[in-house]
This record gives sequence, C-alpha cells and structure tokens, in this order.
Amino acid sequence: MRTTLVAILFALPLTAAVAGSPHPEEVQADISTREISIQSDFTGIEILIFGSVDFSHAPPDQSGYDVIVVIRGPSEPIVVRQKHRVAGIWVNGPGKIFASPPGFYAVLSSRPFRAIASDKMLKELGIGLSNVDFGRYTLGDPREESYRSAMIRLRKEEGLFQEHDDGVSFIGRSLFRATVDLPVNVPIGRYTSDVYLFRDGVLLSKKQSTLAVSKVGFERVLYLLAFQHPFIYGLLAVILAVLAGLAGWFAFRRD
Amino acid sequence: MFQVYLPIAEISVNLLVMLGLGAAVGFLSGMFGVGGGFLLTPLLMFSGIPPAIAVATGANQIVGTSVSGTLAQWRRGNVDVRMGFVLIAGGVVGALAGVLLLGLLRQIGQSGLIISLTYVAFLGVIGTLMLWESLRVIRKRRAGKSTPPRSGQHNWIHGLPFKMRFPQSRLYISAIPPLAIGAVAGLLASFLGVGGGFIMVPAMIYLLRMPTNIVIGTSIFQIIFVTAIVTLLHATLNHTLDLLLAFILVAGGVIGGQFGVRAGHRFKGEQLRAMLAVVVLAVALRLLLDLVLKPAELYSLVPLSGA
Repeated sequence: MRTTLVAILFALPLTAAVAGSPHPEEVQADISTREISIQSDFTGIEILIFGSVDFSHAPPDQSGYDVIVVIRGPSEPIVVRQKHRVAGIWVNGPGKIFASPPGFYAVLSSRPFRAIASDKMLKELGIGLSNVDFGRYTLGDPREESYRSAMIRLRKEEGLFQEHDDGVSFIGRSLFRATVDLPVNVPIGRYTSDVYLFRDGVLLSKKQSTLAVSKVGFERVLYLLAFQHPFIYGLLAVILAVLAGLAGWFAFRRD
Repeated sequence: MFQVYLPIAEISVNLLVMLGLGAAVGFLSGMFGVGGGFLLTPLLMFSGIPPAIAVATGANQIVGTSVSGTLAQWRRGNVDVRMGFVLIAGGVVGALAGVLLLGLLRQIGQSGLIISLTYVAFLGVIGTLMLWESLRVIRKRRAGKSTPPRSGQHNWIHGLPFKMRFPQSRLYISAIPPLAIGAVAGLLASFLGVGGGFIMVPAMIYLLRMPTNIVIGTSIFQIIFVTAIVTLLHATLNHTLDLLLAFILVAGGVIGGQFGVRAGHRFKGEQLRAMLAVVVLAVALRLLLDLVLKPAELYSLVPLSGA
C-alpha cells in the first residue's frame, strides 16, 4: 500500500512533464540492433542509438535542444567486499550487498548532463552514476558510500558503467546519434534505452526502446544444458575429456 | 585474432594462450605424475577466469590429461590397479566431504582465503620435504655411496589390520593407509581443484614405501576417477564448469602430457622429485605473496548467486 503511494507520488512530476505534454516538441529514437547475439567470436559490440527531434508543432525559432541517452542492463544482487589486514594477511571483510545494481549502465549526452538539467531532476530520472539506484543501501552512512564508489569504480574499469559528456552528437538541428560500446562481459538479458529531450532544463519528451542480449547457437546450447541439465552436461564434459585423452594417446604414441 | 568467447565464464580469452597453458600443465603432469591442477587453477585465475570456474574446469582438464598419462604409464607397467581402486574408494568419500566443506565456507564468504592458506601450507611443507630429501639422495649418490634399500623396512603402518597383498608394488600392508591417502587426495581435489597427486605421490613413497615409478602410474590412474567425480559434483551443484574452456585446455594438455612422460624418463627419481619440489615451492611462494602484500585493489565484486 505504502509502496504504491510512494510510486505514484514519485511518478507524478514525470507524468506531468511528459504524458501531459504541454510541450509541442517530441523525440523519436531507436537502436541500430534490437537483438545482440553472443557467439564464440564475440569480443564486444558497438551499438548506435539514433533519433530526431520533431519540432514541427513548435514555434519556428526554437533551438537549444539537449539530448541525454541512458542505457540500463539487467540488474543482479552484488556483494562488495573490502580486504582488511588481519595478522599480516589480507582478508575479505563481511561486505555489503546491493540488491539491484544494473549490470550495465551508460549515460551519453550532447553536453555535460549536469549542465542540462537540475540535480533534482537528474536524481528523479536516475541519470548519472551518482544517481543510479543500486537497491537497498543508505546514503547517510559514509562507509556504505565508500562501497558504492568502489562498485562504480570497478564497473567503470570493466566498461560496464560509462558516462560520456559528448556521447550524443547532433547532425543539423533535428537528427542526433550516439554510439556505446558493450564490452565482452555484458550480462545477458533485456536492456532499455531511454532518450530524454531537454530545453532550458525542462524535460520535453522521452522515448524508450528495448534491446535483448542473448547467447545463440553452440554457446546457447551449452549455456542452457549447463543450467537446465547440469548432470548430463557434467557427464558430457567427463566423456569428452576421456575421449580427448584417448585420442591424444593414440595420436602421439610412437610404437 | 584467436579470441574465443567462453559461454559459462562469460569472458573472451585468447585461444592460443589457453592451448599453451593446457600444454604446459600437461607436460608437467606427464613428467611428474601429478595432475597439474595446483598449477592450472592459479594460472587460470591469473588469466582472469573466475575462481569457482577455474576450480571446476581445472578438474575436468585433469581428467583428460590423466587418461593419456595413465595409458603411457600403463604400457610401462607402472599402474598398480589393485592399489588404485583402494585409493579411489577413499577418494570418492573425500571428494564428497570437500564439496560440503566448500559450500559451508562459501556461505561465510571466506572460501578464497581458506583455499589460498591451505595451498600455501600443503605446497610449502611438501615442497620443502621433497626438496630436502631428494637433494640428500643426489648428494649421497655424487659422493659414491649407495642409497640404503627401503623396501622391506618395517614401520608402524605394518602393525595395522585388514592387510592386503599388492603384488605389483611388492607390498603386503593394511588397506587403511591407502584408503586414508585416497580420502585426503579426494578432499583436496574437490576443495582446491587439484588432482591431489602432490600429496598422494609423497605419501605413497614415504609412508607406503612403494617404488617411485609405480607410485606415479598409480596416482595418475586414481586421479582420473576422482577428478571425474569432482567435475560432476561442481557441474551439478555449482554450475561452474565451462565446457568450451575445458576442451581447449584438454586439447593442449594431452599433447603436452605425451612429451612430459618422455622427458620424465630421462631423469632419475630423485632428480624428478627435486624439480617438482622447486615448482611446488614457487607456486606456494607466489600464493603467499598474494596473501601478505597489500593488494592493488582492496575491493571486490561478487554476484550474490555465484561463488
């Protein structure tokens, strides 16, 4: 009951800003690839998000549009541990659990996004690494904050968290494009791409698209077998290893 | 170029690097009669494979190299099958206990630390003992003295009940010590992702007083069965086996293993033991340094569901 109320209260300013649409401008956008297939030659992929600002119903001399693109991957609970020195040995501490950090998160904008909208607005929309909701944690505890920043730093190093202040480029007044690199270790699942259109710090329009990352072919068969029929998978692994051992022996013996 | 995506580990690795890694470990396996897991598991982790996947996949790779290693030893008449089956019986019990122990440690988040400490303790003690013993024999031989014959000597082990005859090893001893040795090896196999040869080989040489060449053939024979069971347990309970990675490692391993067996026959038993001791001590030192030196990164991220 309480959660629904909070959700409604939270959603209100957004719906007022977008769905009510007192603004004549609209943003249209899509992703170059709706389905990303992971096969054995997968080493990461670059995706293109493109779109246009439809200002045909706006007063003729409007300009200064800003676009922010946010790509979010599926979330999974993560334990963040810090090592401490105990009797001369570095030992993992108990760690903190973040219930739902996104497995992938990228913000791309046409100029530094903190200059595009107010901090309050960015926080509401979850734009920027400092505003991402990681699930259960308290902002007030400085020790938790160090775990949170460690998670952001580690994920940034892996290319799973990205912020690009000049990631969106306009072609003329209306068309824009943005590219983002999905690294080799991207989690599989459903991704969303949210494109926000701003002018003078006001959210004018929003467009969401989705993207699926999945394993296909041989990789998919192995993956499904490993998780749905693990005993058969294990047995297959043992048999293959024994056969390879036998083959090696027959191929290499000299007499 | 040559990059391969691993479906369970979910990373991309270089095919040639992994083949080379398998071959190098297979070479040592064939040469010394050890599974090579105590090298493979840390090396996989250093190449960025998650530890839990390194352990399970390493065990599967050892199955393959042990098969070709055993065949090579078999032809030289170095496998005591009777002794092997007694060791396997103990190994199955130990492997199950190891999986349960690992599950408990994982719950409190200290499996990595305990695994490293166990590695350092076992490898350090065994490496030091083997190096000391083999250098002593080598020095004596250089001085022209003959080594005292060991077979036929009696120790406390000969007082135990349930005696069995092992004609190939020229032994008539209780079944309890080989069962216990097999159980300890099985425990380490599932807990550390190793074959357990590094503890079985010295135990059979020094406790059971088996001839060194038969010890090597028999331990590698036992390792096939124990690592096969460990592979199945990890695949079924933890979903941490990467079949594609295992296959690449096995392919490299069987080739390296054949050359290792031949290389091993150029050296005397005590020379082999001295070389193995140096390798064992080097791995122990590396693991110890990782525990003692301040890590470059104090924080680590682990999925809650995973290991």
